[in-house]
Amino acid sequence: MNNSPILRTVVRVVVPITIIVSLRIFFQGHSQPGGGFVAGVLVAAAGAMYLLGFGIERAARWAWWKISVVGLLVSVFTGTVPLLLGRSFMDHAVWQRHVPVMGDIHFSSATFFDVGVYLIVFGTLMTIFVELGQEGH
Amino acid sequence: MVDALLVHLFGLVQEAFRDCLLQVVVSHKPAGWGVILRTSCLDRGQSTIGGWSMSHLEHVLPAIVFLPFVVAIFTLLVGRLIGRQAGWLMVLSSVTAFAGSLWLFIHQQVQDRVAPVFTFAWLPDLNIHLNLRADPFGLFFAMLIAGIGVLVGIYSLGYIPRLATGRIGRYYAALIGFMGSMLGIALADDLFLLFVFWEVTSITSFLLIGFWYEQGKARKGALTALQITALGGLAMMAGFVLVGEATGTYQISILASQEALQQQLAASPLFTPALLLVFVGAFTKSAQVPFHFWLPNAMVAPTPVSTYLHAATMVKAGVFLVGRMLPIFNQSAYWSPILITVGLFTFFLGAYQAFRENDLKGMLARTTISSLGLVMMIYGLNAASQDALQIFNHAAYKGTLFLVVGIVEHATHTRDIRKLGGLRKKMPIVFVLCLLAGLSMAGLPPFFGFIAKETLYAELLHNDVLHNWPYLQWFVIGTCVLANAFIFAVSFRLICGVFLGPLSDKARDVHTPCAFLWIPPAVLAVVMVAVGISSAWPLTQNLVNMLSSDVHAEARVSLFPSADHLGPLILSCCTIGIGILIFKAREVVGQIQRQFDFFPEMQTVWDEVLNGVTWFAECFTRYWQNGSMRWYFSGILLFFVGLSILAISYFRLSFDLVPISLSQMPWSGFGLCILLVITVVTVVVARTRLGAAIALTATGFLVALIFVVYRSPDILLTQILIESVSTIFILLILFYMPSFKKDRLRPAQKMLNLGISCAVGVTMFIFVLFATSLPFRETKNLAGEYLSRAFHGAGGQNAVNVIIVDFRAVDTMGEITVLVVVGLCVFGLLRTRRRMRL
Repeated sequence: MNNSPILRTVVRVVVPITIIVSLRIFFQGHSQPGGGFVAGVLVAAAGAMYLLGFGIERAARWAWWKISVVGLLVSVFTGTVPLLLGRSFMDHAVWQRHVPVMGDIHFSSATFFDVGVYLIVFGTLMTIFVELGQEGH
Repeated sequence: MVDALLVHLFGLVQEAFRDCLLQVVVSHKPAGWGVILRTSCLDRGQSTIGGWSMSHLEHVLPAIVFLPFVVAIFTLLVGRLIGRQAGWLMVLSSVTAFAGSLWLFIHQQVQDRVAPVFTFAWLPDLNIHLNLRADPFGLFFAMLIAGIGVLVGIYSLGYIPRLATGRIGRYYAALIGFMGSMLGIALADDLFLLFVFWEVTSITSFLLIGFWYEQGKARKGALTALQITALGGLAMMAGFVLVGEATGTYQISILASQEALQQQLAASPLFTPALLLVFVGAFTKSAQVPFHFWLPNAMVAPTPVSTYLHAATMVKAGVFLVGRMLPIFNQSAYWSPILITVGLFTFFLGAYQAFRENDLKGMLARTTISSLGLVMMIYGLNAASQDALQIFNHAAYKGTLFLVVGIVEHATHTRDIRKLGGLRKKMPIVFVLCLLAGLSMAGLPPFFGFIAKETLYAELLHNDVLHNWPYLQWFVIGTCVLANAFIFAVSFRLICGVFLGPLSDKARDVHTPCAFLWIPPAVLAVVMVAVGISSAWPLTQNLVNMLSSDVHAEARVSLFPSADHLGPLILSCCTIGIGILIFKAREVVGQIQRQFDFFPEMQTVWDEVLNGVTWFAECFTRYWQNGSMRWYFSGILLFFVGLSILAISYFRLSFDLVPISLSQMPWSGFGLCILLVITVVTVVVARTRLGAAIALTATGFLVALIFVVYRSPDILLTQILIESVSTIFILLILFYMPSFKKDRLRPAQKMLNLGISCAVGVTMFIFVLFATSLPFRETKNLAGEYLSRAFHGAGGQNAVNVIIVDFRAVDTMGEITVLVVVGLCVFGLLRTRRRMRL
């Protein structure tokens, strides 16, 4: 939209930080506030900042909806794997390992499902941003 | 041996599933997918779970049914590369299926006479299993399907022209898939499995009828066929559900063999509705009056498809279904009256209309309708012992005739009987084949058609059902003789019209058919004649009884009339006499038929019904989807209010149960609430859209602050992010919205809107309040329960997230799917609109 150097500078700094924070929020989701949905919204907000700073032309070349479709495939696939192993649909497994330095580590296959949610939220929001933003042009 | 290979393949699959099965059996968990293989539990009275030491017989069953689907997918993939050669895949898969069925049948007859059963727990919670069972009637049907499939596959090699290779691949894929689903219908032992295969045949037949999709006629014919058969299939499924509700099982062999269950079903009030619904399914598929009109319209399909689907197999599925249901529904008082009425009427009407048809395939289609009506009537007369005989007879001669007509059409590019003639010298082999099949259709000795007709007349003369009403009996016999006479006349019209007489213009420069085209009908004709002549031996008679759906069948089949066959013989002579009269006086009969043209065609009626549905849908949509946002919101919100009030009154919730009082509220929360009220009022009274948007954002962030006061960081985080993003949305939307104009509403409308808004607000308030009331807090400690489960069951401390991704993952699944669809819709709508503007 408008060509403000201040905005651009701020965006250059803030967007990477936001992405890192969103990843952090994503991975802490299983034990602390956070999770795929919130992290996805956050990274979409970062995307919106980028669009405001650098304009929409370059972003519009991307097919953002593909990200959400990939996310849906990831989620469905996560649910299907237990089905193939003879368990019921979406029956998640938890791996628990004791690692010397880091202590007990929990890892749930639900994380993959959450990755799907993350991608879908991000992809869908970006699609809507980009498409609505192009309406004026 | 191909079969040995199949068995080996299945052994491998079985190995792969063994681990999971053992897990299931050991841990006693409800299994989503477990394989339970067993020998016939009915016949041997036991099921062996996890015992793998039985014979491999039942593993052939799923190979027969599912291998075609695998081949179909393969054909779809490689069809682009191999084009016309894909036909060999059809031939290969049908030969395999035929060999498998034949092997099962011989094994069964020679060895233990136990029907092999394959069981696979498909949806165990719903009592739906992937049961396959190979009883003789099913095997007979499977052999018929696979056998004709071989011939149709070979025929297609010569018939389907050189089109784009991808299209030919799709054609064969649909044809092979159709064969697989027909085999599934024949061998399914579960009502729902049968239904699934049933609908797959409807869909593949839609694809096949619409092969020449450039033609509007083909598209319409395909659509009509799909509408009628798929709707009938749905009615049939409803009937199956009723049967399952009344008896508690969907397994056909149990329903058919256990008298206690049949008594239970007959005593149930669902009995008659179930019967009628199943009949609708059978009548639509088998093109019985009044659903018959789709079949002649489906003749726009390529001729191999017409032969396979609309003469030999698919349309017989309805008849087959009635045969399967005979032991289950036989006690109904409506069984015989409905089947005899519909069957007899269809029998006559089909033959009558066939005679006035000029299109060759149309003639054959209408005689097919007629023959199907005949078999329906036989079931109505409780004479199931001759069903296999009649079905085989019809498939043999009608298959041959269709293939012959296909050759004629291929060579002359017309199907109009008035433009054809004198082809006997141009294509002598085809003439002989047509003569053999036509004489069989006419019911002349020594062909199989004669035997079938004699058996029918013998049954009519000595039938138990008709015995009590002599007038009715003679009416039925008279109608049957007349209908058979019409079919006789149609046969001669076909033979004489196409092959005899002077050579027509169209027939002048025809080419001789290639071997692919004439070998299949020749094989079929040879089989037909051989079976007809061999019926002098007792073996054929035994075979006919063995293959019928009636276990204790004792139909008497004989080529040579004996003393007790005198009655049928006289009736046959009458038939032939009247048939010759009709044929000789065809001009007069045609004029008489034209006098009755004022009856509306069922096709017209159906089109009117569809127009009516469209008209209703348009009116309805125009009224409800009028484009006013206010109208939509009123509807949705009022529904919500009504539902909430219903829920509150149903559960008898009252304010006494709410433990919270205002005095416990912290002052900060109170202040926030006051601010909230102020911002909300600002939203309503704002004069500009931007002002309203800012006030709305403020409302959102104030709500977030309330979550701070009540210490719920999870929701707080979500709320803040959502608010930020939705603010961006609102700004983006505002950018392109027209300037803000308040609608001038009438005072009454304003009051109504206010009323709705207040009702929604109050309901929401009460609802949230009750969510914290005593019954929810005390009966179950939901929060504690979730927290402990989240940690011990799913290894997470954030219960909210664990609920989203684990406990209620399937709900989330639905939600994210909606999200993706919304994103795609926005993309599609806005892109299209932009493109249209350019």
